Amino acid sequence: MENKVENKVKFFDRVKKNEYYKKWIKSPFTYLTAAILLAIFQIITLAATGNPWGVSGVFAYWGAWLVELFGGSVDKWYYFASQGAQSTLDAGFLAHAGTWRNIGIIFGALATTLLASGFKFKKIKSKKQIVAAVLGGLAMGYGARIAAGCNIGALFSGIASLSVSGWVFAVAMFAGAVVGSKLLVKFFM
Amino acid sequence: MNEVVIDCLGEACPVPLVKAQNKLNEMSVGDILIVQIDHSCAMKNVPEWARNDGHNVEVEEVDDGEWEVIIEKSK
Repeated sequence: MENKVENKVKFFDRVKKNEYYKKWIKSPFTYLTAAILLAIFQIITLAATGNPWGVSGVFAYWGAWLVELFGGSVDKWYYFASQGAQSTLDAGFLAHAGTWRNIGIIFGALATTLLASGFKFKKIKSKKQIVAAVLGGLAMGYGARIAAGCNIGALFSGIASLSVSGWVFAVAMFAGAVVGSKLLVKFFM
Repeated sequence: MNEVVIDCLGEACPVPLVKAQNKLNEMSVGDILIVQIDHSCAMKNVPEWARNDGHNVEVEEVDDGEWEVIIEKSK
């Protein structure tokens, strides 16, 4: 038994020093590698589902299904008024490709950080962080919905589809990022 | 020679980077700045900036998801 434990420790020590582990799992990909992977998966997504990749729109549907779960109805909401939105809602949570993509993002992110042994519960340093996170999240979520897309659906997929709207989004997002950085330095420095 | 530790645990990008830049400006050549971080993107951008600026940099993984970026001010 004791011998077994020792072997195990040695195994993980060996993995830690393994060159391929360090290269592929432990250290982050370069921006270039990540960009190429994103492009490949965007093409696969478009080919497999018929729609370009989107992230934040899915969360609006998750919210709607949550409302329905508690007996509410979003039939009269302008946002969900279109035929397409209604049929997506009728098909249900599990039938939406975006549901699985987003679950994949969440658990994929968890898996990567666990594999790199970089998982950590971070402490909240101040109440300011909570306020900023909540306000920032609401502003981003609301903004993404009135812009009909986030940095993935509207920017990445928009530009990849040769749509002008993607570039308009890029300009607005850049301006927003400048304002956001100023606020961040003002309140968190 | 001075050694200064700044605690950036629980702070997201770009706060650790800006804090490190401001602190290093106040220090003199030969001093050591230790930046404690637990945000993986700071592990990339803090060393990158310091190296580009010509300082000696070392990154140490002190715990799961926790690093210390050790910067020796070289100019």
